[in-house]
Amino acid sequence: MIIVPCPHCGPRNSVDLRNCGEVVNRPNPDTATLTEWRTYLYLRENAAGWVSETWYCRAGCRRYFTIERNTVTNEIRDQS
Amino acid sequence: MSDLLFQSPLNKAELTSPGGNIGLTDESATTKILVRGQGPAVAYGQSKLLPNGTLICGSRPDEWTFLAGPGKSAEVQAGIDQSEATTIVDITHGRAMMRLFGPAATQALAKVCSIDLADDLTPDGAVFSASVAKVTCDLVRSDSQGIQAYLISCERSFGAYLISAVADAAQEFGLGVPAELSLH
Ligand SMILES: [Zn+2]
Repeated sequence: MIIVPCPHCGPRNSVDLRNCGEVVNRPNPDTATLTEWRTYLYLRENAAGWVSETWYCRAGCRRYFTIERNTVTNEIRDQS
Repeated sequence: MSDLLFQSPLNKAELTSPGGNIGLTDESATTKILVRGQGPAVAYGQSKLLPNGTLICGSRPDEWTFLAGPGKSAEVQAGIDQSEATTIVDITHGRAMMRLFGPAATQALAKVCSIDLADDLTPDGAVFSASVAKVTCDLVRSDSQGIQAYLISCERSFGAYLISAVADAAQEFGLGVPAELSLH
């Protein structure tokens, strides 16, 4: 079981949340090249180690927030 | 909405245990008014009981649910401060609601809900959302005369399943579960 610290609800079982994946910066849709847009949509670092992730508090406050999770150990630390 | 005949998805179920250890009743007819945007001064996770019996629940960071007796929709809505940024929706008919109560209520709920139900984390009056038997629910700890009680509400269509699932969890604490509500 992974305990995810929601900034609104406090520590929650991860089954009550949704992992929305790595944080990726969205390029400007008016100026991005096709390659940049495709990279934004489909390509991820998939790093072994600390990764910034977006989580959605699905069953709780219904807010999105960002945490850092170690994909090897599942340790979690605040983004700040 | 309030003039529509209310039909409970839980068929007014009323389940008890011989020793009074635990009980489960249908509270679906409770008036439920959702307020978003600018709302009352009740923080997320807390509730406030008004003198007229309306319970204001801080359901999300910018969302409140007003709970009152059956058929009080117009009365409750009339009492809400309606500023421009506020959405007010009567969700009475859209949500099933049940009350799980008795000295064993916390133990039974803990079997199907991942929230830490310790008194210091979810004291009387606490409002929280979580999955109960895999259904996303809004919960209120609503003790009565010092006896633990929880109001559990979910989407109407999940109600029949949820009351069966909660009854199943409460069965080992003495709750009498009729055949039509049995999960098995
Ligand atoms: Zn949350």
